[in-house]
Amino acid sequence: MKTMIAGLALAASIFALPAMSAETANIWVRADGSNFMPRIVDAFNKGHDNQIKLDIIPNAEIIPKYGAAAAGGTAPDALSLDLIYTPAFSAAGQLEDITDWAKSLPYFASLSPAHVKTGTYKGRIYGLPFSADSSVLIWNKKLFKQAGLDPEKGPANWAEIEADAEKVNALGGDIRGFYFSGNCGGCNIFTFTPLVWASGGDILTEDGSKATLDSPQLRGAIDLYRSMVKKDLVPSGAQTDTGSNFFAAFAAGNIGISPSGAFAIGALNTQYPDVDYGVTFLPGKDGGWSSFAGGDNFVVTKGTTKLAVVKEFLDFAYSLEGQTLLAKYGSLPVRGDIAKDALKDLDPRYQIAAEAMAKGRTPYSVVFNDLINSANGPWNQMVNEVFFGDDVDGAIANAQETMQSIIDQAPQK
Amino acid sequence: MTTIAATTAAPARRRKLVGAGRRQWIGLLYVAPAVALVTVFFIIPLGMTAWMSLHNWPLMGAHSFIGLDNYWAILRDNRFWNALRFTGYYTVIVTIAIFAVAFPLALFIERPRQLTGFYRTSFFMPAVVGFASASLLWSWLLNVDSGLFSPAAFQLGLTEKKVNLLATFQPAFWSIIAMVVWKVAGFTMIILMTGLQSIPSDLQEAAMIDGAGPFARFRAITLPLMRRTLALALILSVAGSVLAFDQFYIILRGGPRNQTMTAVYWIFNQSFVSFKLGYGAALSMILLVILVALSLVQLWLLRKPEGVD
Repeated sequence: MKTMIAGLALAASIFALPAMSAETANIWVRADGSNFMPRIVDAFNKGHDNQIKLDIIPNAEIIPKYGAAAAGGTAPDALSLDLIYTPAFSAAGQLEDITDWAKSLPYFASLSPAHVKTGTYKGRIYGLPFSADSSVLIWNKKLFKQAGLDPEKGPANWAEIEADAEKVNALGGDIRGFYFSGNCGGCNIFTFTPLVWASGGDILTEDGSKATLDSPQLRGAIDLYRSMVKKDLVPSGAQTDTGSNFFAAFAAGNIGISPSGAFAIGALNTQYPDVDYGVTFLPGKDGGWSSFAGGDNFVVTKGTTKLAVVKEFLDFAYSLEGQTLLAKYGSLPVRGDIAKDALKDLDPRYQIAAEAMAKGRTPYSVVFNDLINSANGPWNQMVNEVFFGDDVDGAIANAQETMQSIIDQAPQK
Repeated sequence: MTTIAATTAAPARRRKLVGAGRRQWIGLLYVAPAVALVTVFFIIPLGMTAWMSLHNWPLMGAHSFIGLDNYWAILRDNRFWNALRFTGYYTVIVTIAIFAVAFPLALFIERPRQLTGFYRTSFFMPAVVGFASASLLWSWLLNVDSGLFSPAAFQLGLTEKKVNLLATFQPAFWSIIAMVVWKVAGFTMIILMTGLQSIPSDLQEAAMIDGAGPFARFRAITLPLMRRTLALALILSVAGSVLAFDQFYIILRGGPRNQTMTAVYWIFNQSFVSFKLGYGAALSMILLVILVALSLVQLWLLRKPEGVD
């Protein structure tokens, strides 16, 4: 009798297995991913027994919300996290170590290097690339033509940026030569520092342990922006733009040149089909180029029971089908080996952005939010002061000192 | 011995329950909901804040007890003291501005006359808008390219080009003051109006018969009799201003160049930008102490003078 019950129980457990294995994992994404993420989750849910439940969280809320949820034990199983936060999250001991699994992927070596670098903390991997966005320079071909410039040729160095912007600006009326968000730390690390990088300078050392603002390259790039502001090539709203106009200003069609991101290609094509624009690299002082390789890392909450589902989902995202879906709805592919295939049928301008992504850079810091992204951080204060204020040297020195002290006070774990 | 005591005590208790004791229990029952609310939403969170302030408590990850270290760190935190200094400056200016607008408005709408209802409603209207929504509205009004004030001034030929009001400290600060006065003065006006209406009119008439002019009547009768109303309006205004956050966060982001960073804004930044919840809690405790002290000082200054009813 006893054995029969045991046998029944065993049988029941065997039969129950397939039903039990169909699990649902919860994933969060910031609002920037609200275009492509639902599509890829839908595609995954249609073809798999295991399911993903997706929550979209406003950009500014996702960090505090996740922190609160983690403290209360209700964190999602995984989230698509702005890659620059991965070091801070890893350092806090909040993420699952996925080194072994990551290294077992046959295409591990061709995953976006910027993502893997920020996803690695003390030699262990906590985040893998999910979505990608690189910074590029875009120009309005219609305005270029009106101004007597070659509409097919974007500026390739700083002097050309200024000269072209000036010509476009001369068209008068509401038309202005250049636009950037002058009170937005995140926007400027994304689009302004590549100008410095392409000229051989940097703002942080490789490991993020020293701020290096006092360089002729940074000073040169500042002078370029200052000069354009002084010549009135930039709308006055730029001085107080906290990023809300980052994309909208160019999309309105009155701006000649604007540094922007790969996301703008998808957004312009779908929302502003009338704007005829070109995409080129963010150049250095005398040519060359660089880019900020941004986007999201996929990270797993420490101790989740749905690891298998999460891995299955990421496997799907890395397939050609997944990469193509991502590219179609606004993210660059993160697998270098199949990027060309994924982009094959899409707008050729994506190729420039994909190339920028592959060779792009990403600063590494566990206090990135404090240093750079915070609206009240030293970086944002400095860019606003040096572009529009009077005391450039003082502003740089002040920012250098504040940034270094924030780095030095960061928790050493 | 004990049994005797027990038997004698028992009837006494029963008797009490019918009389004063029962009334006490019913009284407790009546205040119980309020006590529960205060406990759940004030006492417990306050206790937790105090407890957190003694820890190194990151937004994520493990926390550890560090005693008073957070409080020592506050002593060296120049940016907090700067924020506090700015908050103080803002509180003084905005409180004066609110009263300067609200008092005349209250005098104007106090007595029934034609269209009083209309004036009262329209002056009070902005007070029912939330601070966040009002800030969003004004951040559009103040926008240099697509807003109202700068383009309007430019179109009317008052300025040579569109002036970006939010780019430098003075215009940005005074824009916020204007917005807050617009939003809050109506509320203060209503409070002051109830105070004005509670002054018996025979006192005013008696003074008039004695030959007192309007200014003397205002100073010797209206102001002293409005003491309590003034105290209420003042404390509400000061407490609200010391805790100012929304308008500076939404319209100015603490700018230009971090010059309009208020104390609460700094606490928010430390907690949710730098992820230092424990430190944010310690800052909150300091701010609480300051606020309680300020309120006590105001109550003391506006207390009822002895011998005056």
